[in-house]
Amino acid sequence: MSATVRVKDISKRAGEVLSPVELQDLVPLPPPYDRLEDQPTWKELSASAKQDTACTLDGVVASSLPTPKNAVEEQEYVDKFVDGLRKSFEKNNNWTFLQPLTLSLEYCVKCQTCSDACPIFVGSGGNDIYRPTYRSEVWRRLVAKYVKPGGKFFARFTEGDIDLNWTAITRLYELSYRCTLCRRCAQACPIGIDNGLITHELRKVFSQELGWAPRELHEKGTVLQLEVGSSTGMNPVVVKDNIEFIDEDTSEQTGVTVTSPWDKEGADVLLIHNAGEILSWPENPAAFAIILNAAGIEWTLASNEIGYDGVNYGLFYDDVQLARIALKHVQTAKKLKVKKIVMGECGHQHKAMMTIADRILVGDMRIPRESCLPLLEDIVFSGKIAFDPSKNDFPVTLHDPCNIVRNLGIVEPQRRILRYLCPQFREMAPHGIDNYCCGGGSGFAVMSGNNFADWRVSVAGRIKFKQILEAFGDQPGPEVKKYLCAPCSNCKGQFRDMLQYYGALEKSGITYGGLVELIVNAMVDVKEPFIKWEMH
Amino acid sequence: MSGSILVISYVLVAVFLVGFVVRSVRLATMPVHLRWELAPIPHEKGKGHYGGSYLEELDWWTKPREKSLVAEAKYMLLEIVFLKAVWEHNRRLWWFSFPFHFGLYLLVTAAAVMVIAAIGSVTGVAMATAPSVRMVCTIIAAGGYALGAIGAVGLLVKRAMDPRLRGFTSPAAVWNLVLLLGVFATGLGAVAGTAYFGNVTAYVGALLTANAGAPIPAMTTAHVGLTLLFLAYLPFTKMMHFVAKYFTYHEVRWNDEPMTAGSPMEREVQELLAQPVSWAGPHIHADGKKNWVDLATEEVGK
Repeated sequence: MSATVRVKDISKRAGEVLSPVELQDLVPLPPPYDRLEDQPTWKELSASAKQDTACTLDGVVASSLPTPKNAVEEQEYVDKFVDGLRKSFEKNNNWTFLQPLTLSLEYCVKCQTCSDACPIFVGSGGNDIYRPTYRSEVWRRLVAKYVKPGGKFFARFTEGDIDLNWTAITRLYELSYRCTLCRRCAQACPIGIDNGLITHELRKVFSQELGWAPRELHEKGTVLQLEVGSSTGMNPVVVKDNIEFIDEDTSEQTGVTVTSPWDKEGADVLLIHNAGEILSWPENPAAFAIILNAAGIEWTLASNEIGYDGVNYGLFYDDVQLARIALKHVQTAKKLKVKKIVMGECGHQHKAMMTIADRILVGDMRIPRESCLPLLEDIVFSGKIAFDPSKNDFPVTLHDPCNIVRNLGIVEPQRRILRYLCPQFREMAPHGIDNYCCGGGSGFAVMSGNNFADWRVSVAGRIKFKQILEAFGDQPGPEVKKYLCAPCSNCKGQFRDMLQYYGALEKSGITYGGLVELIVNAMVDVKEPFIKWEMH
Repeated sequence: MSGSILVISYVLVAVFLVGFVVRSVRLATMPVHLRWELAPIPHEKGKGHYGGSYLEELDWWTKPREKSLVAEAKYMLLEIVFLKAVWEHNRRLWWFSFPFHFGLYLLVTAAAVMVIAAIGSVTGVAMATAPSVRMVCTIIAAGGYALGAIGAVGLLVKRAMDPRLRGFTSPAAVWNLVLLLGVFATGLGAVAGTAYFGNVTAYVGALLTANAGAPIPAMTTAHVGLTLLFLAYLPFTKMMHFVAKYFTYHEVRWNDEPMTAGSPMEREVQELLAQPVSWAGPHIHADGKKNWVDLATEEVGK
């Protein structure tokens, strides 16, 4: 492990990597993943990426940045950053999180009680810059010195010393993408300080004031979604074609006729998937269709506006983009006159639409919104569908998506289903609201530029991978096929990359998928196995 | 007691009261924010113990909300009195943080008794305080000073020696602990003398009656004076976290109140949505005049 990194070091030693990630420092994994020499090597940064000042944080690059031509341009960005800090504390500009931000910035006593709750800090072997308090403390000192009256004199006594320069803001920008916003640190804090929230607000300053955000979340995320309807790039015609193909293909494979209704006015349920499911895990929307049809639910998909993609990456970095997308979702439901919106298996969609957007849906914009999990539980235990749990007689464990479980408190419906339908269901330790993030949270799962995917899998997801292996520790070999149930698209994206990175299907027999796939696999009427033991 | 000490005492009490009220009111009157709840929410009846919420219910908006204030109070009691989160997540610090905080709780209790006794004494409402009450109160205070001093010294040592804490410790954090250590040390000195209870109540009584001639021992004057100095300083520090904690828990972590039609919250949000936005990011399209509704509903990217 490199030497202790001080908070004020963020602005010093320009051009040097502040605190490099060393593979030998990372928390060891159980066999057969314990030998460093057997682990995949990280992608080499290109010469141009190395020139980028943003790789001077930890040698990892999450996002590209504009390259200022000279010191004057650098200073302009620095000044804009200070403007952004100031706006964070203005009621008109940031009423959305003003109180939580103020509380977390002003009252942290820096006791480090949160540090060991952070899977990234722990997984890294204790790299100081990944401490939940590190980036918060940088921001706290910057606010004290550059925003508060008299800060140039008083800040060094009240908070501690720091300088603001181009090096500091570029490192801080990168550092705001080394936290998955899982909020495990906030749960541990005795005072209720939320370093995840501070990271969120920091990302907002960069996006809303400087226009800086990772391409995958902004240009290819919210902007693309608002332009064509989906962050996948699918327009309404393409998405309908794809679902039609999925329906036909699934009907052929299962012997059950699958049809997905579109734009049915007055339906009881408007189901909105994360559109990534349609492209990457088509068995998931197919399984939803099989279950809802078999249960006789009056449901529909929507093809207008952005009603067929529940993704809302604004949640991770930008309140305005968040609001724009959330309103489109609601407008779609209003137009179709449905009774409620049901979230597909996507964690951040749950949080964005069910709680974060809740208080901006005033007047006639209000419409009931709920998780698919209580609905699925109701269906499974309603007696409308016959199940044979012996069809799921293989080891199954459950990943708790942070946005559904820790943030929304939806803990038991999915468990009751698994206890009923999966004879070999076992919990991870810890689980439920104490779960560990998959490492792909807050948009990371879709960010893979430069060497970020290597960092995401081997550092951010390290504790989770260890936890999965331990959950299946009684049958570690590849001869026993095991299922990691992850009812969240972004978590599945992370697990796909993680399990492939380590070769976990070949070495340990572990694959992954959603909850609805397990439900359909246990249906008596579905004759062929629905779960395919392959990496997809 | 001299006239100047009396005046200084009044000023310190006034600064404390004004600072405390202003800072607390500032937190209490901040605008409603977007929901940011975090499990476990103990008031969720029948679900709070495992971190569940009403969102686990099918058609949750059609069902009555069931809250358990007892569960919430129990959670807070364990957290406030025993520092449960520190015990569970930072045991090494708890051994000093707990005595430090528990010592303060004892001192607040003793101070409350002595202030009440002083008020009773000057107003003639109450009879002279029973010797047993004086003795118990003195013992509580002595325990508070001792525990507080042990905790303060321990925390100072931890902050100086523990590399996890050292880099995050500001001069103000050290000063806060030193100042409190001074309060505890002079308190121990006052307790070690005679008639601690009577001397402190006499000081409070002198303040209540503006009696600059009251005979107060030097050690008691030093102790109460230092305590008042600490109180005057308190509202401007992070030590106000005992007030902030109410808001971080009740207004953020546990505030899972959904928006309802015609509610005061809805009216407040409508006003907030009408605020002009001036973020400069190019995709925001703000001009300082457009409000949140304008920006969120404009057709972008088409």
